[in-house]
Amino acid sequence: MSALVDTWKQFICRACGLIYDEEQGDPDSGLVPGTRFEDIPDDWECPLCGVTKVDFEPFVQREAAPSCAPVGPTQAPGIVVVGAGLAGWAAVEAIRTLDAEIPITLISACVGNLYHKPELSVALSRGITADAIVRESANDAAKRLGVKLYTETFVVGLATGSHQLRTTRGALQYTKLILAQGAKPILPPEFPAHLCWRVNDLAGWSGLQIQLARAPQRVAIVGAGMIGCEMAEDFAKAGHEVTLIDRQTLPLGGLLPTQAAERLKASQLKCGIDYIGGVQVAKITDLGAGVKSITTTCGVVIEVDHIVAAIGLATENRLARIAGLEFERGIKVNPATLRTSSPDVFALGDCVSLDGMACRFIEPIAKQARAIAHEALGIPGAAYVHAQPVIRLKTRSLPIEIHGSPRPEGEWIVLEEDVNYLVMHQIVNGQPGSLLRVGSNKAA
Amino acid sequence: MNVAPRFSQLTPGAEPTLMEQVQQISRGPLAKLANTIDHDGYYPLDVMGDLGASGALGIHLNRYGNRFDLALTAMNEVTRSCGSTGFLMWCHDVCGLYMEQSGNPALLARLDAHAKGKTFGGTALSNPMKTFAGIESMVFRARKVPGGYKVSGTLPWVSHIAKGQYCGAIAKVENADGSTSHEIMFLLDIDDTVDLGTCPDFSGMEGTSTWRVQLQDYFVGEDNLIADPAKPFIAKIRSAFVLLQAGMATGLVDGSIDSIREVEPVLGHVNHFLHDRQDQLQAELDELNSRVARLALTPYDDSKDFFIEVLDARAQGAELALRATQSALLHQGARGYLKSAAPQRRIREAHFVAIVTPAIKHLRWEMARLMKEEMPK
Repeated sequence: MSALVDTWKQFICRACGLIYDEEQGDPDSGLVPGTRFEDIPDDWECPLCGVTKVDFEPFVQREAAPSCAPVGPTQAPGIVVVGAGLAGWAAVEAIRTLDAEIPITLISACVGNLYHKPELSVALSRGITADAIVRESANDAAKRLGVKLYTETFVVGLATGSHQLRTTRGALQYTKLILAQGAKPILPPEFPAHLCWRVNDLAGWSGLQIQLARAPQRVAIVGAGMIGCEMAEDFAKAGHEVTLIDRQTLPLGGLLPTQAAERLKASQLKCGIDYIGGVQVAKITDLGAGVKSITTTCGVVIEVDHIVAAIGLATENRLARIAGLEFERGIKVNPATLRTSSPDVFALGDCVSLDGMACRFIEPIAKQARAIAHEALGIPGAAYVHAQPVIRLKTRSLPIEIHGSPRPEGEWIVLEEDVNYLVMHQIVNGQPGSLLRVGSNKAA
Repeated sequence: MNVAPRFSQLTPGAEPTLMEQVQQISRGPLAKLANTIDHDGYYPLDVMGDLGASGALGIHLNRYGNRFDLALTAMNEVTRSCGSTGFLMWCHDVCGLYMEQSGNPALLARLDAHAKGKTFGGTALSNPMKTFAGIESMVFRARKVPGGYKVSGTLPWVSHIAKGQYCGAIAKVENADGSTSHEIMFLLDIDDTVDLGTCPDFSGMEGTSTWRVQLQDYFVGEDNLIADPAKPFIAKIRSAFVLLQAGMATGLVDGSIDSIREVEPVLGHVNHFLHDRQDQLQAELDELNSRVARLALTPYDDSKDFFIEVLDARAQGAELALRATQSALLHQGARGYLKSAAPQRRIREAHFVAIVTPAIKHLRWEMARLMKEEMPK
């Protein structure tokens, strides 16, 4: 490495984990490569989540753990982590921070490379490929953190009494088990798996990206929730003809009040997104030559080159059922300790439910991982306190920010409104609740 | 932890009579024959006939109560004394299952004699099962002829067959251009047109009457068809087929625990330095038994999740049998290594459970295949 390159620094967004690299800059926001962090204007926003410069801190790659010895036979089998997404790797990092010696085994159904999942919502229009999204290979991370890694390995069974986890590469003993398997995209029977993409991990995204990189194509996204809306904008910006389909009459209709959703729909139209609301998919047919058709229950037929199902996520209950773990829309965990109904089994991330509610956001994961690491190692401190994360939609043509959890029965009140900007809050039982910002109050 | 229900405790009533009879056969005449079967390759059709008369070979069939739990308990009890005979029971049980599930009146007419151990038949589905899982390609090839099919091909080893006996088999039906149109499943009657060739000696599991089966334009008529096409039929019975094998694995583990306990009074003072001791094995076996008992309630559940659970239980059984039989020999020491001793024989039997279709590697392959998410290409 040359002395010059050595001096480039990196800064990490505390809110979403995006890394600003001085060498790369952020050309999309007008920061040319080589822009020093201190030279970034104060009103610059994180390209991923929209927070400002003050929410960034220097990013320092952690040194290798003192002990990288392979885990051999031992009296205590150590900690086994299932899932090598953000949550699984966060758990591993948190444990290694507290204990350099304890054996850790990580089991991943995919190749397990480290990447930042929110980037998948904006990567296509930036022309980024899967290789560039990978921050660290699974092997490098395993070496750095002293982890025994099983990739492309599926967990098939769990016996909590005998502390045995059964996988497609054999059975493993554990002292503590951490489940971080995430959630899976919902795919109703009328959506054949071989005709519908799901973008919930790098592999799924990458398959679609390779197809879309060939030429501008017609893409239908079914489901206008947060992910569906973000992808629709990203794909449209990348030059594709996007149709967004939902049962709700307006995009994000289940979450936003009508005034806000109308603005989103208008903004999507400007981006070239064709929103078809109030319809339900009845049938998907392969027409051959790469063309598929979607038929709605009201008889509308849409012909496209690709279909993306973005209907929502659900946690599989198979493992919980086999192991007898309590399950309610996710693996039930103690909200402070993230312990499941079985004492030596913890869970975090997209696969858990806290007081019956799933919380599928990035921000809580690192805190959950720290709480689990302390509990699992018997070190006091760091109980998890759940707070609803601020929702920032990565729809850059119309930024949307939600504080708190909007409730279906709440009443939305406009606080501030002009052509480009809308602020509302929700009154629930006479009390102000969630706050919503749509658009930008900067001069247009 | 879990106090696992033993299969036989699930429903009291008339069953003790059946299980008492099976126990009497297993611990009496079969135990005496175990070495003759293992060393000399004696094919214990007399024992199988007794088991049939007791009702143990038909109890899993719908017409006799659909009691998979009892079929598994019986296989467990028999395997405890002799793994080869336990395997013969499985072959015989699944053959009966094919006949009954076929719904073919000609085969249903033969089912009583089969279930009562008056006639005998096995299964030649190892190659087709691996074919359907994408592991190898189909050996038997069929072509349509008036009134049925003509089948040709050679399978290397098929057990529990002999002249005058039969087995379930599958062939791919080829079009004139050599492409495959579909598969058929049929009961292969081993008559004079079927060539049985001697197999090389195996290191264990002798006495199972295992032969190379060679067919040359063997005619399959309406009366022998189990399923045409075969694939939907296999999807229906695949869990039951694999689940029934669990009785062999648990029988070996139970037998091994028996052997460890047997020497505890004399060798306990040194044996406690060993791992995989009786309590550990028993706890793992209880956990497995409780899962298998639950799966045995709905053996024809054709869902993917259910099949994965069955494959997992089958794999766990094979792995536990390997550990338990190994441990039993270490616990018994030289006495378990005698040529006449059960622990050394059970090690070879456990290896068989681990490699017979579906072998541990096939089970893992299939579970991984089923769990992988399908995406557009």
